Order: sequence, then C-alpha cells, then structure tokens
Amino acid sequence: MKYVEFINQTIRKKILEPEKILLYGQNIAAGSCLSGLTRGLEVKAGRIINTPNCENTLCGIGFGAMMNGVSAIFFMKQLDFLLLGIDQLVNTYNIVRRKAPTASFTIFPVIVDSGYEGPQSSLNNLGDFCSMARIPGYTINTQVEATEIIEHHLISPGFRILGVSQRLFKTEIMDLAPVAMNAGRSLFQYSSGADVTIICHNFSLPYGLEFQKRLLEKGVHPSLFSVNGAMPISWDEVITDVSKTKKVIVIDDSKSMNPSWQGMLNILYVRCRLSKCVLVQRSFSGYYCRPQHDQLEIDYERVIGDLKF
Amino acid sequence: MAKEIDKQEVLSELLRIRLSQIIVNEIYKKGNFKIPIHLALGHEAIAVALVQVMGDADRLILSHRNIHYNLAKLDSLKAHIDEYLLKDRGLAQGQLGSMNLTDEARGIVYTSNILGNNLAVAAGFSIANSIKKQDGAVFVVTGDGGMEEGAFYESLVFEKSNALPVIIIVENNKWSLATTIEQRRCPIDLRKLTGSLDVPFECLFSNDTYEYIEHLTALRSLALTRKTPVCVEVMLTTLGWWRQKTPDHPEGRFINYHAGPSPSVQEGNGPRLADSDEDPVFVMEKYFDKNTIKELGDRILSDLQKETA
Repeated sequence: MKYVEFINQTIRKKILEPEKILLYGQNIAAGSCLSGLTRGLEVKAGRIINTPNCENTLCGIGFGAMMNGVSAIFFMKQLDFLLLGIDQLVNTYNIVRRKAPTASFTIFPVIVDSGYEGPQSSLNNLGDFCSMARIPGYTINTQVEATEIIEHHLISPGFRILGVSQRLFKTEIMDLAPVAMNAGRSLFQYSSGADVTIICHNFSLPYGLEFQKRLLEKGVHPSLFSVNGAMPISWDEVITDVSKTKKVIVIDDSKSMNPSWQGMLNILYVRCRLSKCVLVQRSFSGYYCRPQHDQLEIDYERVIGDLKF
Repeated sequence: MAKEIDKQEVLSELLRIRLSQIIVNEIYKKGNFKIPIHLALGHEAIAVALVQVMGDADRLILSHRNIHYNLAKLDSLKAHIDEYLLKDRGLAQGQLGSMNLTDEARGIVYTSNILGNNLAVAAGFSIANSIKKQDGAVFVVTGDGGMEEGAFYESLVFEKSNALPVIIIVENNKWSLATTIEQRRCPIDLRKLTGSLDVPFECLFSNDTYEYIEHLTALRSLALTRKTPVCVEVMLTTLGWWRQKTPDHPEGRFINYHAGPSPSVQEGNGPRLADSDEDPVFVMEKYFDKNTIKELGDRILSDLQKETA
C-alpha cells in the first residue's frame, strides 16, 4: 500500500471515534483532497469544511474550537504555509498550554520535501516550527509509526503537529516491525545490534535502512532508531544502546539549523564515551534554495569506511 | 423579549468601573505594578452595555485593553489588583497579569494582546458552538489598530462563510500606540468593507450606555436569528490624556497614553473626567441630576476604598 493511502486509511478510522469533530483546511474535500491524504473523510458528527485561504485564522480557529470542547484537525497542503500562522502557534498556544483541555487540536501538514518547489517552498523542518513554542510534533515514516502516532496523538486532548512527507506519498509504505518504541511514540527502534547505532531524524529512515543493509552485508550489526519527535525527547533508550556500540551514524534530511540531535550528541559524548560519530546531513554551500531534488546525497561506503570497523 | 433596563443599576456599574480604574491608576502612578496595564477610561459605556446584553451561553473574547470588561464581569476590584500585582490570590493566580486576563467562570474565555489574534479564536469558539448545537453568541473586542490586521478580514470571511453568530466590537479611539489613524493609514470605511461581505454593521458614537444596551440587544438578536457575524464600530475617546512640556514642545506635547498611568487623573476629583459627550459619565447627566451621580459615586468610591484598603 502507498504511504499516503495507508495514512489516509488510518486517519479515516480514527476520526470516526469522537462523538463530534471539526475537520478543515483548503481543498480537503475537493479536487485531489491533498493528493489523497484527506480523501473520503467522514465523521460521526461534526463538520468537514473546505476553507478559504487564511492560514493565520485557520490556526486560531483550531485553538478556539479546542478551548470550546470540540476537537479539531487542520489539514494543510504545505508545511511552509504554516508560516502564516506562527502568531497563533506561539502566542495562542502559550495561553492555551496552561489549561487542561478536554478536546484536541492537531495541525496535519504535508512537509514538502519532494524537491524542485523553488526558493519559497524549500522549508521542510517541522522541528523549527515546534521549537518556537515547544510544540509536540511528530513525523511519520512507516506503517507502525502511522498507526501508533495517529492512534496516540491525532485526537488526544491538547495541541500538536503531525507531519507527513510529500516525498514518500507515492512510495510503498515501509512495513517494519519495531523491537521497541517509547511511551510518547516519539522514538521507534527497528533493530538492535552491538556494533554501531544508526539514529534517523525527520524522514531519513529510508537512508538508515540502506546503511543497515550495507553494514549487515559486511558482517557489522547495527541498531536502528527513528526519532519521530520533532522536539528534544528523553534519549534514555539511545544512551543505553550507544553505551554498548560506542559508534553512531546520525542522519537528518531536514534543512534545520536548530536540530534536536545537537543536544542529543552532546549527551552521547558525555555519557557514552563515543569513539566515532558520523553526521549525515545537507551541505548548505551556495544558494541552497534553488529548485533541486530534496534527497540526501550519501556516499554510503565512505561513511562506513570512516567508522573503521 | 428584551430585558428591562434597571437604569440605576447601569449607572452604578458605569461609576464602579470608572472609579475602579481611577484607583488602579493611583496605584500605577506609585510604580507598584511591574506589568503593563492598558486603562480604558472613557471606554466604559460599551463594556457595561455588552455585559448587560450577554446571555448565559454567550462568550466574550478580549484584547490587551480589557480592564473595563473584566471589571464589568467581576465586581471584585481587589481580585484584579492582586492579579496586576501578580499575587497568588489574584483573579488568575498571578499567571496572566493584565494583557491576557481571562475569567472563564464569567464567560471571558480568551484574551490576547496580539492585535487581530483573538478574532480567529472567536471564530473557532463559534464554530464549536455550531457543532455542539449550542446556543449563544461570541463577542470579540478589537480596536481601530486590530482591524488593520489581515486576521480581521480573514475571520470575517470565515464567519460569514460558515454562518457564525460572532459580534465583533471595534473600539475606535483613533489611536494605535502613539499614532493616530491619520498618521498611519488611509481611512477604512467599515460599513462598506463589511457590506461587501453582507455582514450587518452599526456604528455607535453617543457614549450613552442605555442606547448601547438597546442597540447591542438588537444586534445580538440579529446575529443569532440570521446566523451571521455582525460588526459594531464604537467611536470613543480614551480619557486621561495630558500635555508634556519639552524643549521641542514648549506648549506641551499631546500624550494619549497607550499603557501606563495617567498623571492627569486624580482620585479625589470624582468620576467625571470630561465635560462633554466624550465621557460616558457626563452623558449620564441626561438621565440623572449631578447630585445623584455625585452621591452614588461617593458611596461606590468609599466601598471600593474599603475593599482595597
């Protein structure tokens, strides 16, 4: 099943649970329904609204509905449109966060990481939005992540942002069985090995899987983590693993200059006596915002060679 | 059927809110508040009228200049002053101060000091009402500065598109921070702007609290029966301005305070601040003789002084 189909199916199932809910956004029940993300939405009671183009107001509406006891989901075609709603994300949330709401507000943007969008749509950093007001945020790579994150967070009381990857929309969704996941569904572990720890951020799990495959072919046994929380999380599970392996590969396919893994690495260096750490991220030389592909360019063999197994 | 107006009670409320602010101003002048407070001397008529008109299911959403509405809803001046002093026994346990002060138990559900921010939240409250099939209008207060924000237009379009009974009160004191309307923008004809969206509009300018009660009662009824937003522009003057002599302005520079105390207002001078229709207390002399107003004012001031001693 395609990534977008699986997520659509999981959302459709979950939104039938509440007695009343508000689903809204631009074109969510028209045209391609955000490339299939919101196709066929139905609710037990409530409203499904194709809205005007007014992201700032649409963010405020979700907070207002939540404060008034109605859960709301704002589906967005592009994460960068959310820049227009930053006032609400920060200032309204900072008021709302002191309350104990009975309802939820979830913003569900598509993160435009498919490339070639041009200078003004090159923002693919969910963490940057979340860090402004310590907003819980989650990215989804695999079937189990979609199931667990949507089940636990889509309509739980409170506010958060759930991001999905445009680049993965038409690909077969990864069906991986995790060996562990944390209680907040912000960290999934897909394998456990003794030789190296691979830690994938944002939507970089496919790159981590490629590293895992190549390492296993060389007789090297990696642990593989996907960090789905956009904000810094408890790194206990990672610390335990790295204390054993002493070597890490950190992969981040976002363009953020403020990634949560910087804090994680500080902790790992102090707590785990790292012998080797390789960062796999973007190069930002030149005019990086020009229309171009959005894939990481990785020399896997060189990285593995650097780890000196 | 419209509620019978108790004219004496309305006068008492008007005087209480005026005199409460004058007491707050005295404490402010001594430098006892660390937080910014936006006094609303001269704005009392619309606040008293709105609170008189609000039904049990109605909700009120405010802006940074909210002292008059909060006082109209809760007759404990001490609870307000304690909040301004950030004490645990304040109205919001010292957590909100002035610019974000809410009183949910009395229907003031959200207050924002970001211009335009609260308009979107009001739309969210109202759509939640419609989903819950709950009666009640949402009143939201903004100003001649707030209505310049894009959120004013955005939220109006959303409310009209979704048949939401939101009553938008635009307090037009012709100032935003230190600039007059003429100094910062072209005129905005709200009647034409709202008319283009088929949103009912009315301009109130008499500072007559009784007239305001009648008009707001009719407009609330219109919003609820026709399921439409309604826009009410209230022309008013923020009283307590003064002239500051400087080398550049030997004749005295006009100061229309934004936040902060008014040095020209003195507690011992009674509730009336202007001998013109700019002052809602002066307007009351159409209905009561000066001695009646003075005696009632003295009694209320004495009670307030005892409460806050």
